[in-house]
Amino acid sequence: MTQFLAQLPVLPIIIPLIAAPLTMLLPARALKGRIPCLFATLVSWIAFAASAAILHSVATAGPISYHMGDFAPPIGIEYRIDLANALVLTLVSGVAALAFPFSYASIRAEIDDHQLSMFYAMALIAMVGLLGVVITGDAFNVFVFVEISSLSTYALVALGARRDRRALTASFNYLVMGTIGATFFVIGLGLLYQATGTLNMADLKIQLAGRDNPMVEAGFAFILVGMGLKAAMFPMHLWMPNAYAHAPSAVAVFLAATSTKVAVYVIIRFTYTVIGADFDFAGAAFEYLIAPLAVMGMFFASIVAIFQDNLKRMLAYSSVGQIGYMLLGISFGTEQGLAASLVHLFNHGLMKGALFMAAAAVAFRVGSETCDGFRGLARRMPWTAAAFIIAALSLVGVPGTIGFISKWQLLSAAFDSGRAWAGFLIVASSLLSVIYMGRVVELMTLAPAPDASAAVREAPLSMLVPMAILVAANIYFGLSTELTVDLAERAATSLMGAAR
Amino acid sequence: MDLLAFAIERYNYWIFITLMMMGLFIVIARGNLIKKMIGLNVFQTSVFIYYISIGKIAGGTAPIYLPEDLKARMAHGGDHAPLPGKDAIGAGAIRVDESLHGGAGFAGNDLQSLAGKAAPPEGAALHSAPEGAANDILAAPPLTIEDHAGAAGAAADLAKAAAEIVYSNPLPHVLILTAIVVGIATTAVGLALIVRIREAYGTIEEDELEAADDIAEFGYVPSKRGLPEQRAGA
Amino acid sequence: MTPGAETAAFWSRLIDLSLLTMLVLVAYTMLRSRHLFAIVMLSGIYSLLSAALFVSLDAVDVAFTEAAVGAGVSTVLMLGAMLLTVRREKTQRLGRASLGIAVVALVGAALIYATTAMPAFGDPAAPANSYIGAVYMERTAAEIGVPNVVTAVLASYRGFDTLGETMVIFTAGLGVMLLLGPGSGRGGRSVKDRPGKDEAP
Repeated sequence: MTQFLAQLPVLPIIIPLIAAPLTMLLPARALKGRIPCLFATLVSWIAFAASAAILHSVATAGPISYHMGDFAPPIGIEYRIDLANALVLTLVSGVAALAFPFSYASIRAEIDDHQLSMFYAMALIAMVGLLGVVITGDAFNVFVFVEISSLSTYALVALGARRDRRALTASFNYLVMGTIGATFFVIGLGLLYQATGTLNMADLKIQLAGRDNPMVEAGFAFILVGMGLKAAMFPMHLWMPNAYAHAPSAVAVFLAATSTKVAVYVIIRFTYTVIGADFDFAGAAFEYLIAPLAVMGMFFASIVAIFQDNLKRMLAYSSVGQIGYMLLGISFGTEQGLAASLVHLFNHGLMKGALFMAAAAVAFRVGSETCDGFRGLARRMPWTAAAFIIAALSLVGVPGTIGFISKWQLLSAAFDSGRAWAGFLIVASSLLSVIYMGRVVELMTLAPAPDASAAVREAPLSMLVPMAILVAANIYFGLSTELTVDLAERAATSLMGAAR
Repeated sequence: MDLLAFAIERYNYWIFITLMMMGLFIVIARGNLIKKMIGLNVFQTSVFIYYISIGKIAGGTAPIYLPEDLKARMAHGGDHAPLPGKDAIGAGAIRVDESLHGGAGFAGNDLQSLAGKAAPPEGAALHSAPEGAANDILAAPPLTIEDHAGAAGAAADLAKAAAEIVYSNPLPHVLILTAIVVGIATTAVGLALIVRIREAYGTIEEDELEAADDIAEFGYVPSKRGLPEQRAGA
Repeated sequence: MTPGAETAAFWSRLIDLSLLTMLVLVAYTMLRSRHLFAIVMLSGIYSLLSAALFVSLDAVDVAFTEAAVGAGVSTVLMLGAMLLTVRREKTQRLGRASLGIAVVALVGAALIYATTAMPAFGDPAAPANSYIGAVYMERTAAEIGVPNVVTAVLASYRGFDTLGETMVIFTAGLGVMLLLGPGSGRGGRSVKDRPGKDEAP
């Protein structure tokens, strides 16, 4: 047993990594395509259980270091898990564990039966890629897993082409932007490697100490831009709305809740664990470049979201704005700001997941992805409508939901660090989110349903249950902040401690 | 003359930059999707050139042991270079102790003490990484100290034994082997997408694709660069 | 250094420099040309030239891979895609040139700024060459016992990266199957009404 537990850190990666090729071999069309879906669900639950066990272990007994192939770092590849990774790890695998069972009905309707096994194999690969990025302590290993997750995501997004050919162009744009981003990341790593000779993140920090030179500065800038592209940071977000809007609905659920969050996590990791606090340029980059861009993103994306007709695209633009909140929190340069960003990263994954699930359920039953499809939804699909409304309230930041917790943390971090302006801007852009979410909620509750309403039934249980769990998480973590806020604060403390 | 030497020393890097700029320019400014993929290839290959240039050591040879050198090293290295990690760690995960000994400090959250130790002397330029700094670097990580001292000693001995043999740095080669494979994987997926786009839209020129998508979205082409014979929305 | 070695070093450097210059010329021709066939062929030449450069820079494994993958597989894939789509790039002004120049200039400037601090090319004392890379050279003989250190690092010390690399290839293959294989709905929207390939009467 102890032997087994000693290998715990690698389980959330290695089990799906082995399971993915096996999934491909499962019969796609027997039992209405349930076999690959059930298998993938099972694997994602195992990954989630392992992640939760890691989180528990890290929270109670401190960071873990796992040496791949028993080669001690920095010679070998290391998995280093502290609270920050463990938290994101749990988010990604948790959302996956809900998204897989949720996807069954929606995916069967949206892609060809022949492709079900391949689809679930690909979805597992996308999950393992994101988990691998989060868990590793080796900078180049990040790149490898970023590419695993990106390549699978391109293919998954393109699968939306069965309903709308624009998925193809969206996927291609994503591929071009994603590859540029990944290559920038590699250039940045090359510069850091040339300056230090090592690729292990913790070792990079040691070797970089006192070496403030143009190579390190440019390297950090390239990593920031590369990951900014992946995170859809404001001026580099153009690939994202179309990719999310045209991807199969269930794919959008998983991506919206996890993929950009993971990129933000990588930015945090490199800023604090690798570069650290003794480099003035990093602080300056956040203060004078990232913070203004974050604010512009918050407003620009929210305003664009107001005018969107396609619901998924509106939610995607909203995500661009929410990424702005996270980056703004990091840019404060305080422990509180970082903790607020981590909390928001976690919470935003939960609320966007729930919103996209509701959108997917509507697309499944009503067959429409525009806001019109939500007309009179409260009477046609009451449970889905209720889930959407709660998640929307959470996004806006109503007390009792996780959105309120994030906003509260961000606001207090802003005011405590003497950035009252940031606090006001956060409130102002939240008002914009009231407008775009309110518009949809109004359509759902007040507008009359179109004539064909009799034909529309409530979403199937396989969709409702995961949605309900995610919505319940939206409320639970909004009332009990022990897990998220306390852990995020501890994570921030240790990240900042390491940075100094 | 010094300027020329300076230029020759950095020629690889400057060419890498030029190639990278050209590749990126093709990707951004050219509308044909196949050409974009080729631009991405140029862009990525330039990065390979950069990495390989980092690993080159003047007067070196490929990092493959010459037969007699391998024999000498195996005989020599066997007695003091245990498999890393096997000794102290055992298999599997270890808890990082945040406060205690140096080895954990490397990986732990409290990097400060070690960071101080490993920092090169003030003002030490990278170009001339001095002996002392190199030794400090080697002493910092958790490979047991003796092990490293041993490695350094071995290096000195071997330097005597095989004075002429200099090997280039293998690590960038390893990284680029991975990156090449990633590059071809991206190319394959990108080209498959292009084939699908051609089948769905009848074109692979970006402006025509954008126009078709705009028609699908808004019912008209909002941009001035309208296209005369666009098969609207299929 | 003996005089002989010095001459050898001079010539090898000269080869490097001329290969690099040729790479730039090929890339520039690719940028200008609109014949896709010519561009694909040039990209094969570009890969071969970089493979030759890698040999000169002691990276024989990389050169081998680049020649096989970059000049071989990649060119074949490009040719296939070209035959399935179009042969010639449309003459057009995308209005993106200024954006392209701006982005590229910014990126280039950042890198040139970085080169000012870079260790000289080939410096054995550069941090990159004196730290982990050197440790691999030291340890491989005793620990792995394989003459080719690149292989040893690839398969042992950084073996997990290689596992990821295999996964990348698997992902790409699966992705192409999803995009072009049975049930992919090739042909876009219109294919909706068509039965899947294997169901065709």
